[in-house]
Amino acid sequence: MNKPDMKVTIGSLTLQNPVMTASGTFGYGEEYAHFFDLSRLGAIVVKGISLAPRVGNRPPRIMETASGMLNAVGLQNVGVKAFIEEKLPFLRNVGIPVIANIFGATVDEYVRVAQELCEAGGVSALEVNISCPNVKHGGLAFGADPRSAAEVTAAVKGVSSLPVMVKLTPNVTDIRVIASAVEDAGADALSLINTLLGMSIDIAGKRPALRNVTGGLSGPAIKPVALRMVWQAVRSVSIPVVGLGGIATARDALEFFMVGARAVQVGTANFINPRATLEIIEGIEQYLLGEGMTSIDNLIGALITVED
Amino acid sequence: MREILFDQQVQILSNRFFLPGHCLMVLRAPLSYGSACPGQFIMLILPGRSVPFLPRPFCIYGLAEEPECVRLEILYRVTGEGTDSLSRLHEGDKIGLLGPLGRGFDIDPAAQRVVLVAGGMGIAPLMRLAQAYRFLLRDKEFPIICYLGAAAESHLIGRDRMEALRADLRLSTDDGSTGHRGFITELFAQDLPSYRDSNTMIYACGPLPMLKTLAHCMIGSGLSCQVSLEERMACGVGACLGCVVALSGEAPGIRYGRVCTEGPVFSLSEIDWSVQDE
Repeated sequence: MNKPDMKVTIGSLTLQNPVMTASGTFGYGEEYAHFFDLSRLGAIVVKGISLAPRVGNRPPRIMETASGMLNAVGLQNVGVKAFIEEKLPFLRNVGIPVIANIFGATVDEYVRVAQELCEAGGVSALEVNISCPNVKHGGLAFGADPRSAAEVTAAVKGVSSLPVMVKLTPNVTDIRVIASAVEDAGADALSLINTLLGMSIDIAGKRPALRNVTGGLSGPAIKPVALRMVWQAVRSVSIPVVGLGGIATARDALEFFMVGARAVQVGTANFINPRATLEIIEGIEQYLLGEGMTSIDNLIGALITVED
Repeated sequence: MREILFDQQVQILSNRFFLPGHCLMVLRAPLSYGSACPGQFIMLILPGRSVPFLPRPFCIYGLAEEPECVRLEILYRVTGEGTDSLSRLHEGDKIGLLGPLGRGFDIDPAAQRVVLVAGGMGIAPLMRLAQAYRFLLRDKEFPIICYLGAAAESHLIGRDRMEALRADLRLSTDDGSTGHRGFITELFAQDLPSYRDSNTMIYACGPLPMLKTLAHCMIGSGLSCQVSLEERMACGVGACLGCVVALSGEAPGIRYGRVCTEGPVFSLSEIDWSVQDE
């Protein structure tokens, strides 16, 4: 039997397969080139980029938790200029779509980063981080409120020649309201979820485990929450939804496709298994073969529910 | 780009407590580990996705090349759930191995004297370094002076092995059960002025307060010292930015280096000790 067709489209962007790396967990790609041929990925989503370089938070920045980890890196990054000059040349040569994750403290900063990346060439899409809970003056305000989420989406969309995917925070009361607001503001796609705000204490020292006190929870611990939110978002919007949150195996990814995600991102799992993305791609292919499906399209939204 | 291997099925050759709470694990690593530099580290990954969830970083304590493999020795203290799980593994069990990682110690082939300052488990990377010096400069006679400090005599780890490497040992214990009663940095500071007379390479590893004291001792000595640092890590390859340490520099504001990639070995003067918390 022939290999199943793994190709998916996210708006105007075509991916050879639906597995991407999640922002902040795969560096700028180079860090993982030791372990497998990066050109086998669906896309690489790079570490979040801001207008100016950011040094990030004081350590300790990470803490292991049950089936997951907390991080409060504080969006440390080289800034858009150094990204374009020093990191993008390597990524261009990989030969697969590069998705630039962007963030800012103001709408104007988002707009300026978006403009610079659109002009640079070699970036295939933008992922707008309106969700990162780590930085006091960062994205929280945008992603937690439908009006500000819509405002930053419309502003980036207004200057961008590239497809714009908006990454949502799970730290909201109703994800459907934010998803709809972002769609109405012109987003080409959604990705969710970002990390869940959490906390851990070092009881011996009676201190927070993280210097920043709170951090973003990721890893298998958050997968059921992510899956529920992706399911809700898919039913609320008509633009493509990319699912992420705790995906570590092909089985995990299959669940997201069944609830209607058009693609998935793999994040924290890269830390435990640098070849996790590759194993997930192969696992999805094997599942499709076993089910006699000729295309990943047969699986997307294949969830069977009984309505009472 | 130096090769980094990821193998999910590395065999454990032995794993045993040699002191209460202290273990030595021997792994059957691929042959390419023979070229691992002293001071480089590895990540051990337990299968499964519950606790411990993240890989754990360990420096290489000993390394022996055999015809079909490299025997890698890892020294660890059982301090939490991760190391507790590790200590329960047996000979023949499989474990994930990522490495060799990071920037190791600089070895000077023209060194006339090698000085090691170790606090407790800090002996681990320095043992491998001493081993490498004796092997690389095997045609040369030169002193290795090892300052080794611990809580008590029974915790002076690696003492016999250092003696076998013809190291001149200077000991200290917190309780005075052997050697100098007090901190190892006190012994080292007394001798430091005498190390200016020849080409001396100084290396250290130990708890943060020890390294801070050492940094203070070294000021104005005209000598440099390489230190191996430890931090919580997730990826080990420079992606997660979890393991940063504040670096010193002329420019205003804090600048961070990743212990996993810019380190774990730094020059003592590269680190901004004023912001390091205990």
